[in-house]
Amino acid sequence: MSWRSAFLLQARSDFYARGVLNRQRVEYCHQLHYLQMASEKLAKGFLTAESSSQPPLLTHAAFVRCLQVMKGRPDVRRLLNFSSGRAFVEYVESLLPLAEQVQRLAPSYAGLRGPNPEYPWQSTAQGSVVAPAEFDFRQFEARSPQMNKLLRLMSDLLRVVS
Amino acid sequence: MTQTNGNHVGLAEIERQARLLAKENRQAEPAITKVYWFPDEHEVRLVEVDTTMPPSGDGLVHPFFFRPSPQDDLPSPSGVALISPEEDRRAELPEGWGSWEDARELESEG
Repeated sequence: MSWRSAFLLQARSDFYARGVLNRQRVEYCHQLHYLQMASEKLAKGFLTAESSSQPPLLTHAAFVRCLQVMKGRPDVRRLLNFSSGRAFVEYVESLLPLAEQVQRLAPSYAGLRGPNPEYPWQSTAQGSVVAPAEFDFRQFEARSPQMNKLLRLMSDLLRVVS
Repeated sequence: MTQTNGNHVGLAEIERQARLLAKENRQAEPAITKVYWFPDEHEVRLVEVDTTMPPSGDGLVHPFFFRPSPQDDLPSPSGVALISPEEDRRAELPEGWGSWEDARELESEG
């Protein structure tokens, strides 16, 4: 198996795990953790050429940048069933702010000072220590139209790249 | 002469696909001010300067790679990277892409 295929396969598995956790009503932090990991691996899969024998370079901001490249791709546009280039660009651009927030859930971004789905952090405002399992992650509201839209995009991308 | 899966297709055909992708990308993102094409006989390789893009942080150009898509008139594989203006002709290119001296700037085609 190529590095590219392995990253994309693992991204699909992570995304599937997110769905299982959602159906089981497991704490939301875990669902977000798997969403963040799926998005990162999806992007890293695309950062790797099909013929490459090397794993992708470690880089931050891969998911948002990947979507920004994809919005100009006629092949991705067709695979996601958009007939209009402008509509596809607007669709992707409408999701970039939320995609960036998901990208910043990685502990490497958040550190121990900001909300992330994996490690406890210390709130800079109150000084209290917070466990992800008890945090509501309000900006990632699971039932919001934007989150549903992002989940749909992820699902579609993982489907068409398989 | 066109073939898929990264086989030799000829530089003229690769350049045609590079220009097609550059045009599509410019239409999708007006903040792209320059498109550099790095000639290769097997793969379309583009680096695009996007004024909205933050620097990558590691000084490297990170292309995203796509499979051939004959249905979209893109029968060769392609790698496309977005860079910030600060990285223009400075960031380190991927292995095998040559140097910035090898780049050919593709002008906007109206």
